[in-house]
Amino acid sequence: MSREAYQVPSMGAQNAFGTDAGFGGAMAVDNPSVVYLCGECSARVPLKRGDQIRCKDCGHRVLYKERTKRMVQFEAR
Amino acid sequence: MAPAATDTQWSVDYDTLRRENLFKNPPTDQTAYPSLAESIRPHVDSFNALFEDSKILEAGLKDIGIKSFLDGDDETPEQKRARQAEGLRPSKRNRLNVRVREIFLDKPTLPATNKFTTKNRNIYPSECRERHATYRGKLRARLEYQINNGDWMESVRELGQVPIMLRTNRCYLENATPEELVRRKEESEELGGYFIVNGNEKLIRMLIVGKRNFPMSIIRGSFVKRGQTYTKFGVQIRSVRPDQTSQTNVLHYLSDGNVTFRFSWRKNEFLIPVAMILKALVETNDREIFEGIVGGASSKGMQNTFITDRVELLLRTYRAYQKHSRFDCRSHLGKSFRPVLGVPADMPDEEVGTEFLRKIVLPHLGNYNVTETQDYDKFKMILFMIRKLYALVAGDCAPDNPDAVSNQEILLGGFLYGMILKERIEEWLRSFGPITRDYCIRNRAKFTDESFERDFLSRIVKRSNENIGHALEYFLSTGNLVSPTGLDLQQTSGYTVIAEKINFYRFISHFRMIHRGSFFAQLKTTTVRKLLPESWGFLCPVHTPDGSPCGLLNHLAHKCLISTSDLDVSHLPRTLVQLGVRSESSVAVEDSVVVQLDGRIIGFCSPKQAHRIADTLRHWKVDGTNNIPSQLEIGYVPNSSGGQYPGIYMFSQAARMYRPVKYLALDKVDYVGPFEQPFMEIACLQSDLVPGMSTHIEFTPTNILSIVANMTPFSDYNQSPRNMYQCQMSKQTMGTPGTSIAYRTDNKLYRLQTGQTPIVRPPLYNAYGLDNFPNGMNAVVAIISYTGYDMDDAMIINKSAHERGFGHGTIYKTKVHSLAEKDSRRGKSKREITKLFGFAPGDSIKADVRNVLDEDGLPHIGSKVKEGDKIAAWYNVRYDAASDSYVNVDDITHFVKYKDAEAGYIDSIRLMGAETGNEPLQAISVKYRIPRKPIIGDKFSSRHGQKGVCSQLWPAVDMPFSESGIQPDLIINPHAFPSRMTIAQMIESMAGKAGALHGHPQDSTPFQFSEEDTAADYFGHQLRKAGYNYHGNEPLYSGITGREFAADIYMGLVYYQRLRHMVNDKFQVRTTGPVNALTGQPVKGRAKGGGIRVGEMERDSLIAHGAAFLLQDRLMNCSDAQHAWICRSCGSFLSTQVAVSGSGSSRSRAAVNPGAAAAAAKAAPNQQRPGASSSSSAVGALGGVAGIVRCRRCARPAGFNDSRAEVWEDGDGLRYVGGDNVTVVAVPGVLRYLDVELAAMGIRMKFWIDN
Repeated sequence: MSREAYQVPSMGAQNAFGTDAGFGGAMAVDNPSVVYLCGECSARVPLKRGDQIRCKDCGHRVLYKERTKRMVQFEAR
Repeated sequence: MAPAATDTQWSVDYDTLRRENLFKNPPTDQTAYPSLAESIRPHVDSFNALFEDSKILEAGLKDIGIKSFLDGDDETPEQKRARQAEGLRPSKRNRLNVRVREIFLDKPTLPATNKFTTKNRNIYPSECRERHATYRGKLRARLEYQINNGDWMESVRELGQVPIMLRTNRCYLENATPEELVRRKEESEELGGYFIVNGNEKLIRMLIVGKRNFPMSIIRGSFVKRGQTYTKFGVQIRSVRPDQTSQTNVLHYLSDGNVTFRFSWRKNEFLIPVAMILKALVETNDREIFEGIVGGASSKGMQNTFITDRVELLLRTYRAYQKHSRFDCRSHLGKSFRPVLGVPADMPDEEVGTEFLRKIVLPHLGNYNVTETQDYDKFKMILFMIRKLYALVAGDCAPDNPDAVSNQEILLGGFLYGMILKERIEEWLRSFGPITRDYCIRNRAKFTDESFERDFLSRIVKRSNENIGHALEYFLSTGNLVSPTGLDLQQTSGYTVIAEKINFYRFISHFRMIHRGSFFAQLKTTTVRKLLPESWGFLCPVHTPDGSPCGLLNHLAHKCLISTSDLDVSHLPRTLVQLGVRSESSVAVEDSVVVQLDGRIIGFCSPKQAHRIADTLRHWKVDGTNNIPSQLEIGYVPNSSGGQYPGIYMFSQAARMYRPVKYLALDKVDYVGPFEQPFMEIACLQSDLVPGMSTHIEFTPTNILSIVANMTPFSDYNQSPRNMYQCQMSKQTMGTPGTSIAYRTDNKLYRLQTGQTPIVRPPLYNAYGLDNFPNGMNAVVAIISYTGYDMDDAMIINKSAHERGFGHGTIYKTKVHSLAEKDSRRGKSKREITKLFGFAPGDSIKADVRNVLDEDGLPHIGSKVKEGDKIAAWYNVRYDAASDSYVNVDDITHFVKYKDAEAGYIDSIRLMGAETGNEPLQAISVKYRIPRKPIIGDKFSSRHGQKGVCSQLWPAVDMPFSESGIQPDLIINPHAFPSRMTIAQMIESMAGKAGALHGHPQDSTPFQFSEEDTAADYFGHQLRKAGYNYHGNEPLYSGITGREFAADIYMGLVYYQRLRHMVNDKFQVRTTGPVNALTGQPVKGRAKGGGIRVGEMERDSLIAHGAAFLLQDRLMNCSDAQHAWICRSCGSFLSTQVAVSGSGSSRSRAAVNPGAAAAAAKAAPNQQRPGASSSSSAVGALGGVAGIVRCRRCARPAGFNDSRAEVWEDGDGLRYVGGDNVTVVAVPGVLRYLDVELAAMGIRMKFWIDN
């Protein structure tokens, strides 16, 4: 399933993800591609592991990781 | 119509909408805060001067000149003698000349190897910060070389990449508007002036050095140590070349009246009789020298026998050298100094002597292509110095104080940078010598060979160390000066500091900071630290730290400027001659005084004339007529009895301090320097004016304060040390470092979430744009002893205020997690990569890890991390050329862990690529956000050096309240005031209250109230108008009983700062924890989880209290207590040993020594049993070692008739009897360690064990 989709957290935020991964299971995709943001032009740059770090559009060399789409919630204490 | 230019005028007003607009629409024309930009100009301008109009580096290249090398071997003295005996001329050797003609410094761009970026190849500062890289540009030099007298050939060499100062002419942001700065991810008011080295912002701090080109008379006891007959008298001049490097020349007075010339060259000191220098400079005779010092035959100076005697002796003793003509003297100097000057072997001695005079003797008067006139200037200057030296010895003039700013100037960062660059280039050229010789010997080549010319660039220049950029990067990152010449400076380290952005006050202070030099920090005498009246208006009297750097680390007054270029004064000598300056002189200062311009003697005139000339020049200068530049310093030193040596000394060059004051005669601004100021009549206030005497007046008395010191409200009402403390504390405040926090990667960044603009502030607050960087909060403060929790500088915070966000802050920590080894930060080829981020493809990953880390092996942004949490996953790889990919071999995933004890949130993650753009992910930069709300133990302070610690968060229901229902946010104790006398805080309290009630800001500029017109009255009236008590106090009701307090309570608004010292970074507590491996005692250091030492003095006081159990607990139980076996008979720890349970039954033995067995049970955890057999361990479980410990020393080998029950066995199977009088004692572990150490020295310790 797409990681963009919102999921209802089951028990707090920490284990909202990975219900489909199962314990000890291997990665669903062996070489996942993760989207990053270019530090210069804010383009979305999908990168796989081992890829060269630069923006595909402008060639900028700093990429930001996107904020997670998972729900982030903490106990307010 | 073009939009109106951005307004740069500011008042005390809040200007909320105007500032909001500035934030929303950063100006596209100019900054709204010019005075802020002005404050760092010295840094930027000095860097610009290297390449811009003043072309300092070009002058440096001229000073380096041509380096020549010869082929073949140097003649040994024997060969020379043999050759001369044969009457042959020296064999002709070929000459290689090299010089650097030009230097280019490019703006930072991507390397050519990066083929991916086509649009914009510029590297901007923000990228360097984010990538933890260095903001640097390519340095190139046009190297020219020539063989014999052939044509000059050239090659442009790349000398590596040198760091570039921000917002200079080698930076893309030089003329950037605020709008553009914001676009480039900078602060809208980014100032520049610093370098970015490895992601850190570094700046070269300003250093105080002696005033250039001014002969200073000095009395220094250490001069006596120079040699026999040396005295404490000397005249010293720091002569500065056009390239800003300096050479110090000193004249020493010898007890017989003679004078020697001292200089230091390449860290070695040399002494020469001064007459030799004089005669080498110009073709002269004894009479000219005599009259040059004493004066013409008819002058008054002739009657001064003190001088005439000495000059006569000076000339007489020199006769012994038998060198009279200029040629002789130059040849002699050349012969003596040939080895140290590094000149080619075939240069004639006379030319070497000329080179010596050019480089070393007063180079400010002629540094290259020295003309006869310039040599004559040097000659005249030395004569003047001798005159001043004799005057000093005779007591006719006082020594100049080298610790006073009047005799000081400032070494600017850019100039120092240029000096290092120049020296590196010279060393680079010099280094060709050995390489060429090596090449010639290896290949048996001569310079004239065709192969030499072909190989010169590829085999010789290539072999030299061309990476000058690295040297400069090293200098900036460490602050260490690696220099063969020492650059005429007194220290080798501490030149650079990190421009910490804890808050904006801290940041801006770095650029206004002036250090006296780390040499003076070790000095035992405190004279250098004194605040001298000469500093008035140049150095802030308040803004210096207390403690070890006190008085050595000063800050510029906010109106003090520093010149960064030389003025055009070429016409000035002519003007002076027209004013009556003539060349004839006399040693008698009542007859003639000197007129100097930048250390060049223009001529002499009578004292009366001098006064008139100085006045005329000043009038012209302020008026702007007669082409006298307004920044010229006209130091007129009047004649006095035994005061400073008189004359007119004018200074027009760079690195001077100057400041604006009003010239009364023309009602115009005049710039005044520190040298002239002591002899001028500058009134501070209107009331100080003395008719007929005062010539100038200060624009405002606050001009003497630094930017930070100006922000203390009503500082004239405080006891002065409190203002100093406030300057320190405002720089440690948790404030707002800027608005571009998202793009910053500082190791630690503090941020106040709820900053406010102070109600009480001076207009300068707005002029410097400090509302962009709020530093604290306005708090309702009641001065009352309420609960007892405000004792001893503690303060009570209203819990509701706390919940509304009072003092809430955040710490951002940036950590780089790199896979590459530490030393090789960059430049890795594809094959060398051995690790990649992510999960190993074949590894099975646990679900809990997958919950924490994303698919790329990096954490989710926004997630919370605690100590020990996994931050990133990585695995080992090997480059597979066949598939052009990386393959994992071991299927193991490794993890990077979060090490801090405090939980934080992942704020952002940066993936840092390489400049070349073709490397996979090797390093990430993670920014953690740690929220810090105020808790008990956090430090706060008002703006008056009144710091305190939060002791309670008091519930609002229990806080006292006023008649209008206002509760204090903060309660402080009245005892904070009587001894500290921070009256200004009380005034601020009133002013703040009145300001809040009326809704207007209050001007808190110091020196605006007086005894007649008091602040209490001014603000009291405002309070009364608002319906409050005139005195600022009001009836308060107890929050607990609801009854009115017997006394009215002083309550008002005070601006409070939250300091960055927080308990969470400080608390240190332990019962158990890591211990030292050798002693077993707790380790020290908070970071390692160690304890706080209970030292001897603490121990003494505990003994005095009789707190024996506490002592026992601290020194034994919580430290290295252990139970050890000891022999009661021989009293030794060392001879007890574990008996191996051999044949005898353990039960019987336990019966033999029941006490010991019981003790052994206790000691069990401490006992190590390497040799214990498994058969006995079942029994041993009860008594540890089964209670069988014996003293080997007291035992004897077992015989045949010994009872089996009494026999024991050691590890080797030897059998013994006896030695069973052992017991367990509790001792400190180090006691046993001591016993072992002493035993190693052959000393036995014996313990008597009772009971």
